Amino acid sequence: MRVEFQAELDALEAGFQETGEIVLRSIRGVIDALRTQDVELCDEVIAFDDEIDDRYHALEKQIELVLARQTPVAGDLRLVLALLHCGLHVERIGDQCVTIAKLTKLSSHLDTRQTVIEGLVEMGERCAEMVKVSLTAFANRDLEQARGLHGLDDLVDRANRQVFQEVLGYVNDAEALEWGMRQITAARCFERIGDNAVDIGEQTAFVVTGEFAEFTDASHDVPLLG
Amino acid sequence: MTQMEAPRIDSGRIAEVSRGLDRSEVERREKVFSVFDLSVSYSGTTALEGVALDVHRNTVTAFIGPSGCGKSTFIRCFNRMNDLIPGAKVEGTVLYHSEDLYSRDVDAVEIRRRIGMVFQKPNPFPKSIYDNIAFGPRVLGMKGSLDERVEWALRQAALWDEVKDRLKDGALGLSGGQQQRLCIARALAVEPDVILMDEPASALDPISTTRIEDLMHELKREYTIIIVTHNMQQAARVADMTAFFSVNMEGDGSGRRGILVEYDATTKIFTTPSDKRTEDYVTGRFG
Amino acid sequence: MSSIPAPLEGSPKRRAWRNRLFQVAMLSCMFVAFGTLAVLLADTLITGWPELSSRLLTGLPSTEPGEAGARPAILATLYLGLLVLLFSVPIGVLTAIYLEEYADRTRWWNRAIEVNIQNLAAVPAIVYGILGLAFIVRGIGVGRVVLAGGLILTLVVLPTVVVASREAIRAVPDSIRQGAFALGATKWQVVWRQVLPASIPGIATGSILALSRAVGETAPLIMVGAITYVAFNPSLLGPYTALPVQIYNWTKQPDPGFQTLAAAAAIVLLVIVLSMNAVAIFLRNRYRKQW
Repeated sequence: MRVEFQAELDALEAGFQETGEIVLRSIRGVIDALRTQDVELCDEVIAFDDEIDDRYHALEKQIELVLARQTPVAGDLRLVLALLHCGLHVERIGDQCVTIAKLTKLSSHLDTRQTVIEGLVEMGERCAEMVKVSLTAFANRDLEQARGLHGLDDLVDRANRQVFQEVLGYVNDAEALEWGMRQITAARCFERIGDNAVDIGEQTAFVVTGEFAEFTDASHDVPLLG
Repeated sequence: MTQMEAPRIDSGRIAEVSRGLDRSEVERREKVFSVFDLSVSYSGTTALEGVALDVHRNTVTAFIGPSGCGKSTFIRCFNRMNDLIPGAKVEGTVLYHSEDLYSRDVDAVEIRRRIGMVFQKPNPFPKSIYDNIAFGPRVLGMKGSLDERVEWALRQAALWDEVKDRLKDGALGLSGGQQQRLCIARALAVEPDVILMDEPASALDPISTTRIEDLMHELKREYTIIIVTHNMQQAARVADMTAFFSVNMEGDGSGRRGILVEYDATTKIFTTPSDKRTEDYVTGRFG
Repeated sequence: MSSIPAPLEGSPKRRAWRNRLFQVAMLSCMFVAFGTLAVLLADTLITGWPELSSRLLTGLPSTEPGEAGARPAILATLYLGLLVLLFSVPIGVLTAIYLEEYADRTRWWNRAIEVNIQNLAAVPAIVYGILGLAFIVRGIGVGRVVLAGGLILTLVVLPTVVVASREAIRAVPDSIRQGAFALGATKWQVVWRQVLPASIPGIATGSILALSRAVGETAPLIMVGAITYVAFNPSLLGPYTALPVQIYNWTKQPDPGFQTLAAAAAIVLLVIVLSMNAVAIFLRNRYRKQW
């Protein structure tokens, strides 16, 4: 029953997952670009963001049409709203990748410090993992897996703090400091990617439980959901 | 907390899904009907005025609007059922595959074979299920195996499995939803080109309604469908093109005339309608 | 705090008493009506019982009450019934179809026909008798034969058949016609294949009731010469007498034996008429349509 409607919902979700896969490729692209300081790869990642933006707008438009034409309720409505939010999160992840790529390009003429690079690559790997997990959890409506994202986020934060500490030590070397500041901004972008992945996890929980709750709230020290 | 069933995501299906055709895709298809400046009056009182639109092949076109706006009158112009109402006068042009539907040479009886109709209240004949479907082919003298034709029609209307063991039973013993699908099968049995549906689901319960809507999606692959509905959400769900009719009150209160306000792709009507009257109607603030 | 509704008008005792009175009045009327009928039937039955025999059904009339039978009269009555059915049903049904399906109500002549059908049903049967005598017996020149009797009785009951058929046709919902038209049926196909079959039970019921009335008519038959004494089996173009006329004539005889015979014949007539009515009621109940 309502075969057409179900097909539309499936198509929306498939479109979202595809965009997610594409964004994952962007993350892996910037990680490689960081490791090898490859400027051309950075340009590719930046150019590729157009595709991600187009897909997001297409998803948004389709959701508008589904809401107008099919008047979904209950689980279907939660799914559509969640897809709208997740689409945005995925698009933001894409934007973060672009920022990291731009930063890498900007500082490519300067010397690199291996420790920091390793720290950033570590953050990147963790983020990529989080995004992958968030997409899988959404596809499978896996609540436990979604909640587990919050734990993975801690690892990213830890790596972030390490990078920050390392760069603090460059205070005496002007060139190194300049490079280091850029890397801190890049680290911040990775951290934002992680947050967006957690947000996708929260949307998964919303679809499954019908309630929206933050897994962690920046204003609280203690996580709201264990 | 329970986990919801994981959906099957097959990106190959994305291409298959038609989210309601957009206007350019519709207009690329052959025109089945072209209406120019159509007006209908009953015994001198104008019911509908100045309607113009095109209906394209293999699409579902919906007519929506408040009661009394002439949409049922309009749909009956397409198969000349208004001829049966004494005092009804149709002015203007209706072209069916570029032929004037109302010209003197046109046989209304032949037209009605090619343009079938399903009514608001299911109206099966007080005969057996088999005889209901067989009536059309019999009176039209259609050749070929009647049994096969009856089975084919019932299958097309998604009713075969439910009645195949009781074809000789009375049609009036079926439920409302089944009766309406029987009426659809009856219309299909004479191999029409177009199916007109005048509020086909308004007398049915929600499950039967959904079945009929699913059926429309199937049928539009082979037939052209025009439906009148007072349920806008139904139009939103099934139609590719939607025409919104409204009532024009005469200034001196002498009469209400139905007019066509807006006719566009359904997606447009329900997201960004051009006319404020359309917006007021679909948002439920009027009518 | 809910308020108690205002007390009803009038004292309850008086109203109950008035209710009772009305019920008693209704029951009394019913007893009068049915009681009279019951008494009449009982009287006929008691009077005619001795003569109810196969001789009555198979014998020829005679001047001796002990030997008289009513076979020719019974046969003639049955023939007349058949003729009435044969003529009144096709003519009546086709007229009804024309009036209901084809006639344009806005034309004055159609409205005139409509009004006059009702009037015709109210014309006393003896007027038909006179007309029949003038136009059929003498005018066409058929003579005082069974055929003439049949034709005249047809005229008597034709308006009833038309009215009953019209009701039956009108009872067919318009949605059936619309559905048939929408499939590409012509007007005639719609009438012949949908409307008529659906109205057959109503038409049949009406026809049988009309028939049972025709069978009991006496006055017009006397007018067109259902002769008193017929001692042979009637034929279509021969002289005859019908059962009601036979009864009438036997009651005129002085011999009390004939009175008994008349009562017995009346029972036979009643049986014929009541069984026809029973068939009509059975048909009506069996085929009552749920639209």
